[in-house]
Amino acid sequence: MPREVEPSLNEKQFFVKALEENLRIDGRAFDQYRELDLEFGDELGVTDVRLGKTRIHTHITAEVTTPFPDRPFDGLFTITSELSPMTSPFFEPNRPSTTEILLSRLLEKTLRRSGALDTESLCLIAGQKCWSIRADVHVLSHDGNLVDAACIGVLAALQHFRKPDTSTEGESVTVYTLAEREPVPLSLLHFPYCVTFSYYSSTVEEGETVTLLDATLLEEQLREGSATIGINRHGEVCQIAKLGGVPLDAVAFLGCVQIALVKVKEISVFVSKRLEEEAKKRDKGGLMAELSAENDRVS
Amino acid sequence: MAITILAPAPAVQPYRAAEASDSDSDDGGADVHGDINMRPSKRARHDYADIVTPGEVVTDEDQWMRATVAGTVQKTNKLLSVRPLRARYTPEIGDLVVGRIIEVQSKKWRVDVGAPVLASLPLSAINLPGGILRKRTETDELQIRTSFSEGDLLIAEVQSLFQDGSASLHTRSLKYGKLRNGVFMSISGTGGGGGVVRARRQLWTIDTMNGGGKVDVILGVNGYIWINKHIEVAGGDTVITRMEESVSATVYSSQNDRLPNRARDSANRTKRYMIDF
Amino acid sequence: MPLDTSTYSLALLRLDGRRWNELRRLTAQISTQASADGSSFLSMGNTKVICTVTGPSEVKAAPGASGRGDEAVVSVEISVAGFSGVERKRRGKGDKRIYEMQTTIATAFQATLFTHLYPRSTITISLHILSLDGSLLATCLNASTLALIDAGVPMRDYICATTAGSTSSYSSNDEKADPLLDLNGSEELELPFLTVATCGTEDEVSVLVMETRVQVGRLEGMLAVGVDGCKQVRDILDVVVRARGKRILEGSQL
Repeated sequence: MPREVEPSLNEKQFFVKALEENLRIDGRAFDQYRELDLEFGDELGVTDVRLGKTRIHTHITAEVTTPFPDRPFDGLFTITSELSPMTSPFFEPNRPSTTEILLSRLLEKTLRRSGALDTESLCLIAGQKCWSIRADVHVLSHDGNLVDAACIGVLAALQHFRKPDTSTEGESVTVYTLAEREPVPLSLLHFPYCVTFSYYSSTVEEGETVTLLDATLLEEQLREGSATIGINRHGEVCQIAKLGGVPLDAVAFLGCVQIALVKVKEISVFVSKRLEEEAKKRDKGGLMAELSAENDRVS
Repeated sequence: MAITILAPAPAVQPYRAAEASDSDSDDGGADVHGDINMRPSKRARHDYADIVTPGEVVTDEDQWMRATVAGTVQKTNKLLSVRPLRARYTPEIGDLVVGRIIEVQSKKWRVDVGAPVLASLPLSAINLPGGILRKRTETDELQIRTSFSEGDLLIAEVQSLFQDGSASLHTRSLKYGKLRNGVFMSISGTGGGGGVVRARRQLWTIDTMNGGGKVDVILGVNGYIWINKHIEVAGGDTVITRMEESVSATVYSSQNDRLPNRARDSANRTKRYMIDF
Repeated sequence: MPLDTSTYSLALLRLDGRRWNELRRLTAQISTQASADGSSFLSMGNTKVICTVTGPSEVKAAPGASGRGDEAVVSVEISVAGFSGVERKRRGKGDKRIYEMQTTIATAFQATLFTHLYPRSTITISLHILSLDGSLLATCLNASTLALIDAGVPMRDYICATTAGSTSSYSSNDEKADPLLDLNGSEELELPFLTVATCGTEDEVSVLVMETRVQVGRLEGMLAVGVDGCKQVRDILDVVVRARGKRILEGSQL
């Protein structure tokens, strides 16, 4: 397996020097995100998030299964993330790297454990049948800040996704095809997004820590500590993960949480705007309009 | 919970006497004890105040410094250093060490001396069989395993240190070389507490009881100790070069000599005593 | 089974009879394993961990590990004993939660230890969890600190960790909610909590992990209580280290 290439001393010194002069290599402000772009696929529940050069494809699927015996009233929600060798030759298939495990843990904590998706609404017959929602996160290109991008991808896909409508009569469940009945959206309780901070301390003068938002791959490789904060726009912190790294003042950390809140509000607005645009594009006037045989006349 | 897990007893508790007298000395009632217990506790009390722990500021002056290990402060003129209570061995030039060959490379051996990184013993730093004037040849390089191979124990001296703190050893003396006819033991690292202190003399010959003969104890500074049957250095009056030749014939032999049972017993007994100590 | 914590407001006493700012009993021992370079046994309440440190020593780094030549690599192994919890359960190596804890401990110490003093070597911390009752990550961090001090590896300062919770659930935004210190296993199931580790006596947060939902407003209180708890833990660990040092010194004078 090829070892990951570390930034050369040259690049490192250049980066540090730039930081000392309050500059980032790509010219952004310290708390500025790269350009965020969100596209939806033809299918429901498919999103393609681009954050600078980072690109993540998310696909939501649903199927009917049996719930776990210890949670008979809850449906299933799984998030699988994959970093394939396509992303970078340093990722090996079937051997999860640290990046991959931390990514899936963070998504799991932010989205699943915080109860973003109402799993109880996925139950069809208690203890026997329920929906299993599966989110597949494919990282197509890795240029830093996978967690934030993946989180946006999954949440947007969940909001975009429609599961087939069902009706329950006693013990039997009927699942209607898309043609029979309009599919129904998933019930989401809140929308927690992740904001990742990168810390650099020893590079600058003693006692000062530089905090960057939305680090690129180079910035991630050079950072000395990071913290990911999962928060929704109502100010509920869903998870915090500062896994070691350079120590940070507690008060400064609370400041980071406030910054995260502001950023999450911006992201929420952006995602809901894009979802509205997408809904308008898809809306062709309901079932009757779709069934009509009339062609658009070109005069 | 039905299961209770008891805290494991400390591995070695050799200092019971000192502990007992110390708890008394806190009350100021230490004088009732005999003289034997008294002396250590008095000195220890003085030392206790000197223990510093990581993060503790060790100076009162403007240029403050902090300790990074738990240990005692040592002052050499204006140089402050903290000797750790227990740490891995840090090689220094001139140390007498007992080591174990881990790896054989084309022109050198890699030796475990209990330091953070393996020490190296270049082929050029050993006495080749056949006298001091012999030139090192390619045959020697090819037959490097005949001198030392993996798992051999040896006694050597630290000749120089590399940039990363690892040691380069040499065995260019009759005192040094391969070890046999004895037993090995190790005690933890160096430092103010346990371990072997750097001393003027590190090779001790002890007379044992029951006709066990003399026993040599080699205290490696790195905490490795070798105990073997005392070998009489043959004929002190022969010319140096002659002696070199006669000894070097057997110096790289890995075959243990046949030892009298008593000699073996006394070596083992010495080891047990040392463990108790 | 959900736990009833509603009785807290009546007497301001928690299920195990502690007040909000009280730690569980913390006991620690150093040098428990003779063969290791450094070792410790630490228990916070009913969470008990044995830690052994090997190294710094020259070990071939595991493939894929980012072994930089100019400093020591800290690697952490955690094994959870099958009998540690209420149910006997075998945890495989692939447990992501354990893996996350390993990386957390490794990166926390990588930044605090003076690894540059030991180029080309590895410091291996192995943690054996004997009994589980909350505050697992915090206990592991504390045990590792003690074992590393025992091994004589230079570090900036103690890394001390505790957990802090809040009596409010995430849905309610009541102002009366009290922060709690050092949660036990059943409180962790019920209440939002975070694990915080500080480096030294100043409020330098080295590790902060929270997995439950809580209002932003609660966070400050929880963090403050946690950081304060870390100071208490530091004092206790310091006493343990000094007592050990005193014994060693007395021994060497004999």
